[in-house]
Amino acid sequence: MEAANSLTNYVALSAVLFFIGVIGVLVRRNPLIMLMSIELMWNAANVALLAFAQAWHNNTGHVFAFLVITVAAAEAAIGLAIVVVMFRSLHRIDIDDVSLMKG
Amino acid sequence: MGVDGSYPLLLVIWLSPLAGALLLWAFGPQLRKAGGIVGVGAAALAFVATLGMWGAGTQLVNSGGVPLLGAHQTLGSWMPGMSFGLLFDPLALIWTLIITGVGSLIHFYSLGYMAGDRAFARFFAYLNFFLFAMLTLVLSDNFVGLLVGWGLVGLASYLLIGFWFERPTAVAAARKAFVMNVVGDIGILAAIFIMFAYVHSTSYADVFAGVQSHALTGQVLFAVCIGLFIGCAAKSAQVPLHTWLPDAMEGPTPVSALIHAATMVTAGVYLIARCFPLWNSSPEARELAGLIGAITALTGAILGMGQWDIKRILAYSTMSQIGYMIMGVGVGAYSAGVLHFFTHAFFKAQLFLGSGIIIHALADEQDVRKMGGLAKRLPFAFAALGIGTLSICGVPGFSGFFSKDAVIYGTLLHGHPYLYAIGVITAGITAYYMFRMLFMVFFGEYRGNVDASDLGMRHPELAGVHDAGHAQAQHAHAPAWLMMAPVAILMVPSIFIGWLNVGGENSPWAKFIDPQFGPAQGLTGAPLSEIASTLIVLAIVAAGILIAYLRYATPAFISNAVERLRNETVRMPGVLVHAFYVDAAYEMLFIRPVQAVGGAILRWMDPVVLDGAVWEVAHSAKWLGHLFRSFQTGLVRAYALTIVFGAACFIAYYVVAGGVR
Repeated sequence: MEAANSLTNYVALSAVLFFIGVIGVLVRRNPLIMLMSIELMWNAANVALLAFAQAWHNNTGHVFAFLVITVAAAEAAIGLAIVVVMFRSLHRIDIDDVSLMKG
Repeated sequence: MGVDGSYPLLLVIWLSPLAGALLLWAFGPQLRKAGGIVGVGAAALAFVATLGMWGAGTQLVNSGGVPLLGAHQTLGSWMPGMSFGLLFDPLALIWTLIITGVGSLIHFYSLGYMAGDRAFARFFAYLNFFLFAMLTLVLSDNFVGLLVGWGLVGLASYLLIGFWFERPTAVAAARKAFVMNVVGDIGILAAIFIMFAYVHSTSYADVFAGVQSHALTGQVLFAVCIGLFIGCAAKSAQVPLHTWLPDAMEGPTPVSALIHAATMVTAGVYLIARCFPLWNSSPEARELAGLIGAITALTGAILGMGQWDIKRILAYSTMSQIGYMIMGVGVGAYSAGVLHFFTHAFFKAQLFLGSGIIIHALADEQDVRKMGGLAKRLPFAFAALGIGTLSICGVPGFSGFFSKDAVIYGTLLHGHPYLYAIGVITAGITAYYMFRMLFMVFFGEYRGNVDASDLGMRHPELAGVHDAGHAQAQHAHAPAWLMMAPVAILMVPSIFIGWLNVGGENSPWAKFIDPQFGPAQGLTGAPLSEIASTLIVLAIVAAGILIAYLRYATPAFISNAVERLRNETVRMPGVLVHAFYVDAAYEMLFIRPVQAVGGAILRWMDPVVLDGAVWEVAHSAKWLGHLFRSFQTGLVRAYALTIVFGAACFIAYYVVAGGVR
C-alpha cells in the first residue's frame, strides 16, 4: 500500500511536469523557453521510467532513463543550434516568424 | 488453266503505260509538249504489243479442254501458295484491245483537246496510269490482282474527274465517284474473303474448279456473287450506285470518253464475264444481275430524256447501255454482252469525242439549248455524232444493231420475257433521246446568242460548265486534225465491227469468244424467232425516232424553237430534273444521319462527356490540394498542437479500451 502510494505520487508528479512542458511548448513563442519546456517533458518521462523501474524491480527503466538523458542532450544541442541560426538570419527570436513552409 | 510460259510482250502491254506514267510524273514539267508524245507513245506501244501478242497465237486450254487463244505467265507469289500472274485469253484480249486501242486514239485526241492546258503532262500521266490500272484489272489471273486493279482504276478515275481541281464541282464529283467505287471494292473484298475461306485460293482457276467440285455452292456461292456484283454495280454505274457517273462528266471530255464510256465503267461487265462459272452455277445471281441491268438500262434511258447538257445525255446513255451489257452477261448471254461492250466502246468513244469537238468549238458550251444548226458549221462533228447515234440506236447496218439485238434476244433465249420487254422499251427510249440530242444540236437555227433566261435556264451554272476551267485551251487551238483523226478512225468500227457477229454459230465473233464460255447454260428456247424479235425492236426504235422528229425537227418547232425549249425547260418534271431523287435519298439515308451523329458528338459527347471527365479529374485534384494545403500553416506551435491532440486521442483510446477490458 505504501509502495503503491509512492508510485502514484511519482506518476502524478511526472504527469504534472509533462503537462507543464506541453503547455509551455504550446503557449510560448520564444524557442529557448520551448526547448526548456521540451526538456521538462523529457524529465517527466524519466521520473515515470524510474518510478516504474523501482516499483516493479526491473532495471530496464534505469537503463532507459540514461538513454533519454543522452537523446535529450543531443536534442538540446540541435535545438540550440537552430535557435542560433534563426537569430542570425532574422535578428529576433520568435517561433511564429519561422513559417516559410506554409502551404 | 493451260500452259505456263514466259511472254515478254505481255509484260510490255502491262508495264509500258506504267513506265509512261512514271516518266511523266517525274519529268512532266521538263518534258512540256513532249509529254504528250510520251503519253501517246506508251499507249500505242501497249496497243502494238497487244496486236503482237494476238498474232503470236499462243494457246491455252479452257476448263472444258477446248483450246483457245491465250497465254498465262506467273510472275511471283506474295504468300506461300498464292501466286500473281498475267492471264491473256480471248476475254482479256478483247478488253486489252479496247483499252489500248481506243485508249491510244483518245490519248491522241487529247493532244489537241488539252493543248495549252497548264497541266498538260499531268493529264497524260493520269491517262497512262489509268491504262496501267485497267490492264492490271483485266490481265490479272486472280481475284486479288483484279481487286488491286479495281482500286487503282478508282483512283485514276478520281484523279481524272478532279483534274480541273480549281472547280469545286469537279472536286465534289471526284470525291463522290471515289466513295461510291470504294463501296464496290468492299463488296469484292468480302467476296474474296468468302471464296478464300471455302476454296483456300484466290486464283481464277482454283475458284472455278471449286465451283465445279461444289466446294463453293448454294447460298455461299450466291453470297460471293452478291459481293462481286456490288463491285460491278459501283464501277459500272448500276442502280442504285449510279449517281456518280453523270457527275463524273466534270472531267475533261477525253476522260469522259476513255473512262466513263469505253473502258472503266465496263469493268463490271468484264468481272461477270470473267466469273461466268460462278454465274452459271447460281440462278439467283443470274436473276439479280439481269434485273439490275434491266432496271439500269431503263432508268438511264428515262433520265436521258430530261437532260440538257450534251455530256450528261451521253453519260445517261452510257449508263443505259452498260445496263444492257450487265443484263446480257447477267442472264447468261455472255457472248452478246461482251459484244455489246466491244461495239459500244467504239461508238460511245466516238460520240464523246465528237461532242468534245463541239464543246471545243463553242468555247466550253455544253448546253444543247444553246446549240442548234451546227450541221453546217461543224459538218465533221455532225457526221461523228450522227453515225454514233445511228449505231447506239441500233439502226440496221451499224454496229450497235448487231450487239444490242443479240443482248435483247439473249434475254428471251435465257427465259426472261420481262427483261426482254424492258430491253425493247429501252431501245425505243434510247432512239428518242439520242435523236432529240441530235436534232437540237445540229438542226434549226443557232441559239448560242439567245439569252439564257429566254430558254428557261434558271440555273445556268447547273445546266453546263460555264466557268473558265481551262480557258487557256481556247487561245491555243491545236491543229484540228489532231482531234478529227481519232474520230475518223473510230467511225470505221462504229459502222462495221458489228458485222463480225453475222452468221450465228459460224460468225468470226462466235468462233473467237464462244470457246471461252463453253456451252451456253440455262437456255429455255424463245417464243419468238430472232427475225420477229428484231422487227419488234426496229418498230419501237422507229417510233422513238419519229417522236423525236415530231417534237424537235418539224418546221413548226424550228421556227419557234426558243419558246418551245423554254416551255419544255420550265415544265420538265421534277422526277427527271432530280434524277428520281436518288441523290436526295442518299442525303436522307446516309448523309443526314451521319451528320446528326457527328453533330451530337460535336455538341454533347466531346465537350460534355469526354472533356467533362478530364476536367472533373483536374478539378478534384485541385480540390484535394486545397484541402491538404490548409493543414500546412507553417506555424510550429500549430504542428505541436496537432501532435498533442493526436497523442490525446491515443491516450483517450487506451483509457476507454482499458476501461472496457
